[in-house]
Amino acid sequence: MTNLLEPGPKLRRRYRAEKIFKRMGLSAIIASLCFVFFLFYTIISDGYSAFTQTYIEIEVSFNKDLFTDANISKADFPGLVKKSLLKMFPEVTKRQDKKLLYSLISPSAAYTMQELVEETPKLIGTTQKIWVLADDDVDMLIKGKYQRDVPESNRRLKDLQLKWIDRLTAEGMLEKKFNTTFFTSGDSREPELAGILGAAKGSLLTLLITLSLSFPIGVAAAVYLEEFAPANRWTDIIEVNINNLAAVPSIIFGLLGLAIFINFWGLPRSTPIVGGLVLTLMTLPTIIIAGRASLKSVPPSIREAALGIGASKMQTVTHHVLPLALPGMLTGTIIGMAQALGETAPLLMIGMVAFIVDVPGSFTDPSAVLPVQIYLWADSPERAFTEKTSAAIMILLAFLIAMNSLAVFLRKKFEIKW
Amino acid sequence: MKLKTIAAAGALSLLLCGPALAARDYISIVGSSTVYPFATVVAEQFGKTTGYKTPKIESTGSGGGFKLFCGGVGINHPDITNASRAIKSSEMEKCAENGVNDIVEVKIGYDGIVLAHSKSVAPLKLTRQEIFLALAKDVPDPKNPGKIIPNPYKTWNEINSNLPPTKIEVLGPPPTSGTRDAFVELAMETGADSFDVIKAMKKTDKEGYKALSQTVREDGAYVEAGENDNLIVQKLQANPAAVGIFGFSFLDQNSDVIQGSFIEDMPPTFEAIADGSYPVSRPLYFYVKKAHVDVIPGMKGYLDEFTSEKAWGEDGYLADKGLIPMPAAERKQYHENVAALKTLEMK
Amino acid sequence: MFSYITPCVLLLSIAAYYLGTRRANSIAAASGGMKELHSLPTHYGVFTAICSAAPALIIFALWIFFEDKIISVLVTRSLPADLQQLSANELTLVLNEVKNIAYGGFGAGHSGEAVQAAAKTYNLLSEFASNLVAGLVIVACIVPGCIAYKKITKDLRARNIVETTGMAFLICCSGVAILTTLGIVLSVLFEAIRFFQSVPLTDFIFGLDWSPQTAMRVDQAGSSGAFGAVPVFAGTLLIAVIAMMVAIPIGLLSAIYLSEYASPTFRTWAKPILEILAGIPTVVYGFFAALTVAPLIRDLGSATGFTVSSESALAAGLVMGIMIIPFVSSLSDDVIHAVPQSMRDGSFGLGATHFETIRYVVIPAALPGIVGSILLAVSRAIGETMIVVMAAGLSANLSFNPLSAVTTVTVQIVTLLVGDQEFDSPKTLAAFALGLLLFVFTLLLNVIALRVVRKYREQYE
Repeated sequence: MTNLLEPGPKLRRRYRAEKIFKRMGLSAIIASLCFVFFLFYTIISDGYSAFTQTYIEIEVSFNKDLFTDANISKADFPGLVKKSLLKMFPEVTKRQDKKLLYSLISPSAAYTMQELVEETPKLIGTTQKIWVLADDDVDMLIKGKYQRDVPESNRRLKDLQLKWIDRLTAEGMLEKKFNTTFFTSGDSREPELAGILGAAKGSLLTLLITLSLSFPIGVAAAVYLEEFAPANRWTDIIEVNINNLAAVPSIIFGLLGLAIFINFWGLPRSTPIVGGLVLTLMTLPTIIIAGRASLKSVPPSIREAALGIGASKMQTVTHHVLPLALPGMLTGTIIGMAQALGETAPLLMIGMVAFIVDVPGSFTDPSAVLPVQIYLWADSPERAFTEKTSAAIMILLAFLIAMNSLAVFLRKKFEIKW
Repeated sequence: MKLKTIAAAGALSLLLCGPALAARDYISIVGSSTVYPFATVVAEQFGKTTGYKTPKIESTGSGGGFKLFCGGVGINHPDITNASRAIKSSEMEKCAENGVNDIVEVKIGYDGIVLAHSKSVAPLKLTRQEIFLALAKDVPDPKNPGKIIPNPYKTWNEINSNLPPTKIEVLGPPPTSGTRDAFVELAMETGADSFDVIKAMKKTDKEGYKALSQTVREDGAYVEAGENDNLIVQKLQANPAAVGIFGFSFLDQNSDVIQGSFIEDMPPTFEAIADGSYPVSRPLYFYVKKAHVDVIPGMKGYLDEFTSEKAWGEDGYLADKGLIPMPAAERKQYHENVAALKTLEMK
Repeated sequence: MFSYITPCVLLLSIAAYYLGTRRANSIAAASGGMKELHSLPTHYGVFTAICSAAPALIIFALWIFFEDKIISVLVTRSLPADLQQLSANELTLVLNEVKNIAYGGFGAGHSGEAVQAAAKTYNLLSEFASNLVAGLVIVACIVPGCIAYKKITKDLRARNIVETTGMAFLICCSGVAILTTLGIVLSVLFEAIRFFQSVPLTDFIFGLDWSPQTAMRVDQAGSSGAFGAVPVFAGTLLIAVIAMMVAIPIGLLSAIYLSEYASPTFRTWAKPILEILAGIPTVVYGFFAALTVAPLIRDLGSATGFTVSSESALAAGLVMGIMIIPFVSSLSDDVIHAVPQSMRDGSFGLGATHFETIRYVVIPAALPGIVGSILLAVSRAIGETMIVVMAAGLSANLSFNPLSAVTTVTVQIVTLLVGDQEFDSPKTLAAFALGLLLFVFTLLLNVIALRVVRKYREQYE
């Protein structure tokens, strides 16, 4: 006779199995959560430093005899920068040392001067203190990404340069400042000059095309399939088709874009218009499926009531069903757009992997998009690009999280429990 | 209904508002991944200091670049291709077939090909013969030098007992790459010539000689790592046993994490490559379609910028990026060629 | 130049809408009340608006499409004879310059007088043409609008016309999906057929060597040019299997825990965080796999005495598995939720523990759905590109060792096509053949998965 209150060995085993299983489930979730945090931690810890950039203050005298030509851009600005540097470090005389000295400052210093003088020609003849960008190696050192204690031959910066940098820092002429360049310029080969504006603008143009095509088409297709389509073979084919397209690898859409939009229609390579078209085809199934789901959630009683008081089928849909389903469709569209924003593979196929410095101005200008920019930077030899890559990833993720939160917010706000 | 029609019409009109396909007002450049870092720097400098648009540059490998370049004359074809080797006569013929007759060749400087690996191990000291033995598909049998057998070597010390006992794992470029062409010619072919059997074939069986001396093994010891030289650098850093093949400029940029192997007792340094004592170095080029020079905006300016002393000179910004400048006389000559748009003769 | 046309058309059609509505109203008032009209006044309005906008937009669209060609032909005619005789490609160059000068952008600086003149002609022509088209479009807008306006009577079946037009638009839009599939099949199939003309199908499907980087020129010794897809597919499967070995247990257990055990608050927090994983762009995973995970695994391997390739299938597979977790978990979550509560209650009533209920009742009931979701996840893993492009190898080794480097279908497509677009070498065409195989393979998986899921859903409805 077993005691019912005292669990026997068999029951204990069953309870133990229960406990183990529950723990396994919990640890599975914790493992994936840990991974999310680990990923964010590595990217943020790598990338946050890209939001500041090292600047060096130099004293420049814009001598009148430099600007003899009426055209200011003809003046020797790089020479001006070099002269100013030599004036700050008069002890540097050897050719080799001079070269080391010049390499402390980014080549962009000359552009900075040029812009300054072109903006206010009054500067000519005066002496000014100007903050210019430091070279990426200096920047990496200041941010602690280079070690000082390795032998000189293993370092990108030599002992002499370290001495100069220390002197500049001590005199307050070398500072980390907020990196505005990163947000206001296009791609560059110099890490300190590289920015994401070009890629962000390219993404924006591409998404504009995607949105303005895929939203109306997607909504219309969803409405037709859910509300009007007769149950026949054709409808079935379309349905199966859409579900399949949603799961077709994105790279296949790139092959389609390459063969049809570029080779057959002759649209220009590497442009937002082709990218937008490819991404439209890619996101359409997502939008259609989400749209159908939200149409389905509108209770039939609404339709029956509308039909009952004499509305036509089309009136029922446009006046009653569609307005109720629209928030859900918007949510689906935003999620589809987020997917399109993060997509890279099909864009590689249509030539969007190119070095493009200018910020694109129209749908037919060559341009990069954010994820492709990340892919390109991940490939660049300069070490300082690693932090730029991580920073670009942070920006991209911020956009994606904002879009998805907007979708969640919309869903919460307009969700109707029937 | 009306709302949607209007919305749809609005969306459509937004789309149609854009300008009709505009003319191309920027330079389009393709070609070698080795020249890519230099070309992009020049392009950027050019774009920032003049009013022209910055050229668009795609990195396609020298071979891929020539294919695109020789596709024809017209705005849909690139204006310039970069190459890490000289154009081959077969490619010239292909160009001519498609109506690309006038090509201007511009040599921009030199680049060494290095076999680099992680700094965490001692530098490899290789000869070209050893490189051939490590990488060729078929090699002479070590026991019976007259016979050719499939490459039996799995570790470096099987080739030469002074080398480390690590697995042969070389990450290198695919045949589209000019680096591969030059490497095969300069390192492997010379290495193959050190065997009498193979050298004898040079006269008797030219095809067989070429196949033997230039074919790279496909059993996994040589890993075709694509044109993304930087990813290779990162992989080398992670794997001290692996050796990568790429241009000197990449070694120069990453000299704090990877080091070049000695070849024939010469380390790959700026000076050794410049004076020619490092045996595996090759010139870099770009090729210009003459027909495009007058019609694509900015072509003249770009050519001037690239061939100016402040770019490719000894103290120029390209030297800072790792390009090894040509002697002054050669620079002057090429500068004049470019100014006069002297075209290549069909060989 | 054209920017005012579309707003014009829009304004005109809105005006047509109001006029149409007003006329319908006045007709109704004149003939004794609204009930006399066949349709609602707004239907008449929309009818008029459609009649005025549709022809105008069609003309406009046609013009946009053909503008460039027409003007180019006309400008070419105006060029001197020696320029006209150039080949078609060289002509595009001349025209390009003409356009550059005409747009006021930079000419190359020293263009001939003929070109300058042509640019002037171009400007004149395009101005004239755009004025002409603007006029045409506006006429095409007003005339049919007026006709439609006149046609409005109380018997006009405006609603039927409007609804038929609307329906036609809806049908066209849902046809886009079919067109896309057709486009994919055609674009991939044609190139693939050309590939199979030079490489026999059997060699491709059963060949054990993949070495597509053939010589670019006759005087070069490239790879042997073997196109056996087996190692490529083996590599793809290896990475997919590793990914699924990560994703299935973690995804499934998470789904079960979330739907069966977790408290509502835990669920509301954990689920969105899990779904973040699905929203992260794959290029980010690729960066992470290549720079963080692969070195980590390599170091772990060398510490424990294994030789791990720096592009091991394990690293790519692991990261891909993590990416797929939310696909498995959210789909399985749905199916587990769909299992009727009554079945669980029955099991509890018989004295089963929660675990036993899950194991013997819930999972068997949800199994078809779970299998379907896993198949969908597998197809996602096979088609994934960026992670493998950045973290997996390029050389096709026929190996099932997860520590060695393998390549995948998508990696090969990318390396064969990026930059190089010569459409006659078997090398480039091979990419399309791989694309076709990938498409067919994922299609099969999807069809099976969707069918399974659908069948299962019907079971409990």
